[in-house]
Amino acid sequence: MIQMEDRGNVAVVHIQTPSIDAVSAREIEEFCGRSRKTTVLDFGEVAFINSAGISGLLKFIVAARKRGHRVYAVNVSPHHRKIFKMVELSRFMPVIEEQEVAQLT
Amino acid sequence: MTEVEMRIPSDLVFERVVRAAAEEIGHQMGFPEERVADLTLAVSEAVTNAIEHGNRLQREICVGVIFSLESDHLQVRVVDQGQEEQPLEIRCRGITEESIERGELRGLGLYLIHQLVDRVEFSSGEEGNIFTMWLHIAPRNEQARRNEQ
Repeated sequence: MIQMEDRGNVAVVHIQTPSIDAVSAREIEEFCGRSRKTTVLDFGEVAFINSAGISGLLKFIVAARKRGHRVYAVNVSPHHRKIFKMVELSRFMPVIEEQEVAQLT
Repeated sequence: MTEVEMRIPSDLVFERVVRAAAEEIGHQMGFPEERVADLTLAVSEAVTNAIEHGNRLQREICVGVIFSLESDHLQVRVVDQGQEEQPLEIRCRGITEESIERGELRGLGLYLIHQLVDRVEFSSGEEGNIFTMWLHIAPRNEQARRNEQ
């Protein structure tokens, strides 16, 4: 469900599921601790995220922050941008554009 | 009025079945895509609460979901058999440094529901605990205002 791609100093984590919910969030939580200094979560294949899924994402972000790592989000749909902003997740995982990934260090 | 009624075991896998139904009903009612996404998420959150907090993940106890399709609005009732006689409280209104420090990484569901639907109501009786949500078919300008918020 999760595939990690190395792009120099940046790790891009492709979330390959249409739904991040209570069931699939467990797989993201299992990925905690595998972040890199700069990690980008790719939501390009994700059509649905609920609060249980947000909780799984937050656990990943908190684990990364404890290691001094930064987490970004890319390919986020307008609806999910709205939800991320609503729950303030964007403060802890800024949403960026695909072309900005290459500029991250 | 048209009603669609579903009963699912209290297993989070089946929340996905109700969510799929909500999405289809939203489309059938002519809601804009963004409103369908709001509906789908609100229903997902309400059903997850009923499974986890109401029926406490006891698979043999069912969660009932009734969609009532009206000309100008959709009503969704989610029924569980929990012992709660009071509605769940909104524990978290957004992620903060403090909530992370306290290890509070869940509890956003009810807050999201209140943000996404027009009205909610909780009641408790012989039928069980009933959590009801209403989504109105908003005029185009009203919908645009919502999306801008």
